Amino acid sequence: MPIKKRGTGLTAVADAWQLADIDVTASYPIRPYTAVMAEVAKRIANGQMKCEMVHGEGEHAQFSIAHGASMAGARATTGSSGVGVTYAFEVYSPIAGGRCPIQALVGDRTLDPPGDFGSEHTDCLTLRDNGWIYGWAENAQESLDNSLMYFRIGEDPDIMLPQIVAMDGYFVTHIAQEYEMPDQEQVDKFLPPFRPQFRLDVNNPVIMGPQIEPEMGPPLEWDRNVVMDRVKAKIAAVTEEFGKVFGRKYAPFVEEYMTEDADMVFLLQGAHAITCRSAIKYLREAGYKVGMCRLRWFRPFPDMALKQILPKFKVVGVIDTNTSYGASGGGGVLLVETRAAVSELANKPMIQGFTSGLGGETITHEEFFKMAEMMRETLRAGRIIQDSTWVNFNDYVEGASEVKAAQQEVAQTKE
Amino acid sequence: MSKVYKQVPFAAIVPSPTVANEGMVTGNWRYLRPVVDKAECTQCKTCWVFCPDACVNMSADEGVSFNLKYCKGCGVCSNVCPVGAISRVPELDFEE
Repeated sequence: MPIKKRGTGLTAVADAWQLADIDVTASYPIRPYTAVMAEVAKRIANGQMKCEMVHGEGEHAQFSIAHGASMAGARATTGSSGVGVTYAFEVYSPIAGGRCPIQALVGDRTLDPPGDFGSEHTDCLTLRDNGWIYGWAENAQESLDNSLMYFRIGEDPDIMLPQIVAMDGYFVTHIAQEYEMPDQEQVDKFLPPFRPQFRLDVNNPVIMGPQIEPEMGPPLEWDRNVVMDRVKAKIAAVTEEFGKVFGRKYAPFVEEYMTEDADMVFLLQGAHAITCRSAIKYLREAGYKVGMCRLRWFRPFPDMALKQILPKFKVVGVIDTNTSYGASGGGGVLLVETRAAVSELANKPMIQGFTSGLGGETITHEEFFKMAEMMRETLRAGRIIQDSTWVNFNDYVEGASEVKAAQQEVAQTKE
Repeated sequence: MSKVYKQVPFAAIVPSPTVANEGMVTGNWRYLRPVVDKAECTQCKTCWVFCPDACVNMSADEGVSFNLKYCKGCGVCSNVCPVGAISRVPELDFEE
């Protein structure tokens, strides 16, 4: 029987790892990831989990340990946060290129500066070109469910890619909430044991990650490109099967909320979706025809789904809880990706960017209202007024550009 | 006409080589050559175990010798030798 529990995103993932019967986990402390490490250590000590825990001397070693364990045929996990994620940067591509399907948990956290502990998606988004597959969970239940789905997708013999179960630091990793831990029998039915085609074996020696000749580079990278396309079909199939086995149905790529008659939508990922939904209820009462699209995957990016969904709307407000300084449009990573996904469609909506929720801040109702108001002005104007708006920093209201110009003129006369 | 690339196995995972790979001769990377002092060498095989490129040969008659066609000169053998029998000599000191 599934067990109703009260816990956090991290205990939920520890539950998933316990149910998946992982063989090795590699650890190194950094908040908020640390709590899952402590939880797994406790379960090993209590005899609840039978798994080898190897403590690295840093994140680079930590991810390398999981890499080696995976080569040896182990179902291996690891994880980190913030600058820990970036300290391990060198090894992400070798793990994915070596087709070692380890699973990492990233409770996201700001990079330095500001060096605070709060959630920000930037750390994990910097890995986007390295061939890992990942997306953000919005709560503990989805973290647990994603973990199981990711193992299944990543370890599929047609895929063999490492995965990141990403979640907003503290909002998901540390806030106690209700969730359901599935039954071991269900999980065994859904997730077969990890049996890689190649593993380190003295009786059948192979070289993994050999020095290859230059002419072998492009075809190897082509393989990595092709498999990313295969992942999309696998995600759709596995998400559906997950729903049948566990009774929790997720949209494979993009969750839509109140979009049937919407002329504008917020597009975001992760835990801010929860606040967004409740803000939308108020906005609807006030007459805004607004909805929400929540991305369940970031890599592979759900471009095909967005091509189908977004033309229904007139304005899309992409909320970036990350920074990508100097990026096209002046916003974050999601703005660039979303615009690119639909750029060649004739009936594409107007897409504007919002940067909000940085440094662990909650995106409040008032901020969602502000964004909705700015989107409505875009709708009325029939054109993008400002590519990217950092909420509370350069918000615009009607006639904002004239006001700003006047202020600048005044400032000059003062000097 | 499109270019024909070499076939690459899955994740470039290949069987361990059983013969020398003529396509990847690495001996010319070396600038310090390992030289063993046979009077000091105890034939303990530590260098043979540690050489990352399997370039240490052992024989009952000859003792330790090095496969200089592939030895990159990394110096691990010299570092691990418990009796200090392996020195590293600049390549320019040799005629050939």
